[in-house]
Amino acid sequence: MDSDFRPEYLRLRRRNMLFIAVCLLLVVAAVLITLGMGVYNISIPDAISAWWNHLTGGYVNPRDDAYVWDGRFPRAIMAAFAGAGLAIGGAVMQSVLKNPLTDPYTMGVSSGAFFGAVLWIICGFSLFPFLSGDLASIANAFVFSLIPVGIILILSRYKRITPTAMVLIGVAIMYVFSSFTQYFMVTADSSSLAEAYSWRVGTLADASWDNVPYVVVSVTVLSAVLIVLSRRINVLSMNDNYAQTLGENVQKSRVLLLVIVSLMTASIVSFTGTIGFVGLVCPHVVRMFTGSNSKYLIPASAVFGALFLVAIDSIAKVTGVNGLPVGVVSALIGGPVFAYLLIKSRRSVWM
Amino acid sequence: MSISRISSKKKATETEAYESPGEFLEGGPTSVDVRDLSFSYGSAGRTVPVLHGVDFYIGESGFVSILGPNGVGKSTLIHCINKILEPTEGVVYVNDRDVKSIEVKDLAKVMSYVPYSANDSFPLSVADTVMLGRHPYSKWGTLDEDLRIVYDTLRMMGIEDLAMRPFNELSAGQHQKVMLARGFAQQPRILLLDEPTSNLDIKHQLEVTKLLRDLAHQQGILVIMISHDLNIAAKYSDRMILLSEGTIYASGTPKEVITEENLAAVYGVRSKVVEFHGVPHIVLMDEDDED
Repeated sequence: MDSDFRPEYLRLRRRNMLFIAVCLLLVVAAVLITLGMGVYNISIPDAISAWWNHLTGGYVNPRDDAYVWDGRFPRAIMAAFAGAGLAIGGAVMQSVLKNPLTDPYTMGVSSGAFFGAVLWIICGFSLFPFLSGDLASIANAFVFSLIPVGIILILSRYKRITPTAMVLIGVAIMYVFSSFTQYFMVTADSSSLAEAYSWRVGTLADASWDNVPYVVVSVTVLSAVLIVLSRRINVLSMNDNYAQTLGENVQKSRVLLLVIVSLMTASIVSFTGTIGFVGLVCPHVVRMFTGSNSKYLIPASAVFGALFLVAIDSIAKVTGVNGLPVGVVSALIGGPVFAYLLIKSRRSVWM
Repeated sequence: MSISRISSKKKATETEAYESPGEFLEGGPTSVDVRDLSFSYGSAGRTVPVLHGVDFYIGESGFVSILGPNGVGKSTLIHCINKILEPTEGVVYVNDRDVKSIEVKDLAKVMSYVPYSANDSFPLSVADTVMLGRHPYSKWGTLDEDLRIVYDTLRMMGIEDLAMRPFNELSAGQHQKVMLARGFAQQPRILLLDEPTSNLDIKHQLEVTKLLRDLAHQQGILVIMISHDLNIAAKYSDRMILLSEGTIYASGTPKEVITEENLAAVYGVRSKVVEFHGVPHIVLMDEDDED
């Protein structure tokens, strides 16, 4: 009997690459389509041609240009990179903590980061006095995002905690940070309360050419690092003792990976607020197509997360009189879709 | 091959025999040297002693089985050898180097470990699961080479047709075979196994144990296996170590270790040990059986 699996292995690999490529094309398409969606009335073809004309130096009516090039395009880029970053964050945390229910949101990393950002934005307090502007905000967010990570790591080191307990701890941390954040928001200028609220549930309305580059750079660089480390992430998803006998320094690697995820989350959350569900749902949907090998799971989660958030934000922009914050729609759509996919999937995604 | 406290044999002094990891990986004979090892669980105040005064030396390749009743500390001993646990007292030398001073990555290239059960939370495919055994070499290995090694090890275990199946859809016996394949894929010089055949039927237990023995003899690997099936262990082992109450009760060839007296003392069972082709074979008896 000769059943060499290698052709089949390579075929599946090509299929995973194809999945990533198709998602990538869909992201590009979604970014173009979303240029025509929003409260300002311009058709999708007109918006795309305005965008194209700006890009190629042609004439664009200044009003269209302001909405399409300076408003919607950076917002779409922000959506794509924030979606990619949060989905990767979820994929990596799920593997490294061996827990299907974790992502930057449920573990309190996002709310910790957001609290740090709010400290700077509303109170003007920076942990690093030599920094100012957006960098001060990101630095604050990063430091505070490490608090939940530290608590979870320390607890799991000295006490055997079940995956469910881990999530409950994460949610508890999330609420503590949220209440701090709300305190500062409520005591802030009352005229900006609605804005502050939409920010807390997660919004992309503040995306601009000033802050998009931070997110693009951090997500690109850090996700490249995570893809390089994907083999290590696979090993860490095994039983700790076993991972060590495969040559992995388990504690060190786990801290390193969670710090990378925290940094990426901090850079996103500083500008978007806490967007839930992307990080939790996207990796699970992707697992159904590519399986759990991080080598494919991470890039596939990135492109799928980008697609998800751009699409969801498009819907958010045209819902209601002035549009909704993306966080509201992401939970509204993400929740039921996730439940449906889990029930429908015949193969158990997790044991 | 010998299991004994070394007397005349050259052994590592407190200053390490090898200067660099490279030398440790390449050179010297394979050896596991456990010196006066004790291990207790728990922290100061409330400790539960498990092992005490365990002392043996294995200086060459071969097939060694570790025997003993439940809870005697067999797995703990294995975990002290592969650095998962740190001995409370005593030192473990692997290839003449104190394991404490060996980087986990270097140790993984010399020694692999097949655990008792696989509770991997992640359903990778069987091929990807076995591929994890290539992790210690990830800087050098190419996908082609790794795939070839994975394929060879799967064939060796006779499970190449399972390669693309998700790991979590297999039976307990198939899991064990995959874990064994993963241990082989690491290409170790020392292979530690914790009851690797407990979920296999007798035919496969026999086949896998024989395969391990052949590997040890043909490829010069040191295989150290915890076993509960004394008859199969006796049939294939070069040497046996019998643990009782946290320390070594007897060690030597199967003939020396598998005796009616030892079984009565360590396991508390009456038995008749017969010899078949020079190998001791145990017939168990209960109170109704006449001698």
